[in-house]
Amino acid sequence: MTFLQSLKMAFSAIGANKMRSFLTVLGVIIGVIAVVVLTSLGQGALDQVSGQIQNLGTNMLTVTISTTRHTGIDAPTLHALVGHDGITAISPSISGRMTAKAGTETFSCRVEGAEPAFFAIRKMNVTHGRALTPSDEENRLPVAVIGIRVADELFGHRNVIGNTFSLGGREMTIVGLLEEQGTSMMGNEDERIIIPFSLAQRLLRQTSITTFYVSTESEDVIDQSEQALHRFMKARTTEDRDYSVLNQSSILDIFNTTTATLTLMLGGIAGIALLVGGIGIMNIMLVSVTERTREIGIRKAIGAQRTAILSQFLIEAVALSLVGGVLGVACSYLMLTVLRGPLDMPSLTVSMSSLQLALSFSIAIGIIFGIYPANKASLLKPIDALRYE
Amino acid sequence: MIELERVSKRYQMGGEVVTALDEVCFSIGAHEYVALIGPSGSGKSTMMNIIGCLDSADSGIYRLDGQDITRYTARQLAAIRNRKIGFIFQQFNLLQKLTAYENVELPLIYQGLGLGERRIRVNAAMERVGLADRMRHRPNQLSGGQQQRVAIARALVTGPSLILADEPTGNLDSKTSVEIMATLRELNAAGNSILLITHDANVASEAPRRVRIADGRLTEEISEDKKKKK
Repeated sequence: MTFLQSLKMAFSAIGANKMRSFLTVLGVIIGVIAVVVLTSLGQGALDQVSGQIQNLGTNMLTVTISTTRHTGIDAPTLHALVGHDGITAISPSISGRMTAKAGTETFSCRVEGAEPAFFAIRKMNVTHGRALTPSDEENRLPVAVIGIRVADELFGHRNVIGNTFSLGGREMTIVGLLEEQGTSMMGNEDERIIIPFSLAQRLLRQTSITTFYVSTESEDVIDQSEQALHRFMKARTTEDRDYSVLNQSSILDIFNTTTATLTLMLGGIAGIALLVGGIGIMNIMLVSVTERTREIGIRKAIGAQRTAILSQFLIEAVALSLVGGVLGVACSYLMLTVLRGPLDMPSLTVSMSSLQLALSFSIAIGIIFGIYPANKASLLKPIDALRYE
Repeated sequence: MIELERVSKRYQMGGEVVTALDEVCFSIGAHEYVALIGPSGSGKSTMMNIIGCLDSADSGIYRLDGQDITRYTARQLAAIRNRKIGFIFQQFNLLQKLTAYENVELPLIYQGLGLGERRIRVNAAMERVGLADRMRHRPNQLSGGQQQRVAIARALVTGPSLILADEPTGNLDSKTSVEIMATLRELNAAGNSILLITHDANVASEAPRRVRIADGRLTEEISEDKKKKK
């Protein structure tokens, strides 16, 4: 007996009990949807957040100083580090919340004092106008580069280059508008005002540097640069917890591992759903074997071998679960397409790996849960099966 | 062609051992038409199951076409049923989901024959039972007599050594029964060996040779040729 004939027989048996077959397949469909959608969502979230981290730059180091004691670190000391140990640029930074006013509109947001190098280090793009320049810095010019949310809140439009607003009693001129960044783990990235570092020290009444950003030649030398920064900081602080050095690529690593574990867990939970679907198949196959005992008897009487009966029922079980797998993948594709917009994950789709996983799982489920009923059918004695009413 | 030598079969029935066949010796020659007559419980079903390789004997020897098949495995017995035995049952035992053509084709599929060869053989068998125009009908679209003829076509499509007919007219009205019995006679005339199993002496009178079974023992009735000799 050929495989094709077995397949034909299997599908005619499935078709003979459409409602029952559908309900059985439904269990697998739901299981497959759970597996595909959950793993794809996990993968999508991973891609999204690791994309954000990568946008910040994997060759960036952030040093945060938490001690209130005087460290003696000022802008010139930091600039002296550039050119050594792979360090290409450094920008000190101080920040605080202030309220900006324009006309009758006020908006409280994060004000960051930064040097011109800041934009390159943080990979921030200015879409309109310009970034801060060394001359702004040297002359403490009252200029600002703002995020689009600030423009929206203060002016209601984004054509704001040359407009002024007041900040801490100073009139500031907008020279640049930052590219839209959306929301990150840190909150809304578009709600910020960046002003010259020297000016910020006065406006925020803060002279000591709390944070500085460092960029390195490449990701490869980042460990070397990190060591150099540790040496630099150790010489200027007394305790380890007085400062911290954050390495973007190590954050990315930690994040990737965490999300991978999470995805695996989700996949595991979804796998349980698929398992339940498999039990449904086994149940219905056992019922089917009992119902068709007489048919099995007839087939055996006219000379069907044990293997022919076994493969007939096994193929039927696999066909059931495979149909469930294919329909499940199709439903998952539709669901993910619908979810793509609301979840703001443009890359969200059925990944090749989850497709393979779902289909191979559903075949495996069909075999695992089909083998017992099929074997039971094949072992029936022809006389007993023929006598069965 | 078929030889049973001191074949016995016992069943355990609620703590009691029932001897269904008691050292039965029996043989059927080529082209022979034999009727096995006996009331229910006489052991005739057991006899048929053993001859049909659906069951095996507890003791004794069963030879089919000269081969001792007493110790054959389930796999070998399936092949024997497929190639050497054709079954005709009282309840027809057709598969309801398959058409008449597919029912007749099934033993050939299990034999592993190719599509072309199967088509030739199935068409020939359906022709022989006079149902060439009912190929695509399902059993529930056929009358009882037609269904039994499909079953006969299925039994003879493999060209078996022996056709086993178990009460073939048990579920049919008398007119149809006559037709079916005529078909069996034709098959025998064409060279098929037939073992007809029945409780009905009238039906059995069709066969030239008749064997009675009671309490697991056989008694031969005088066959017609022997009568003539007397």
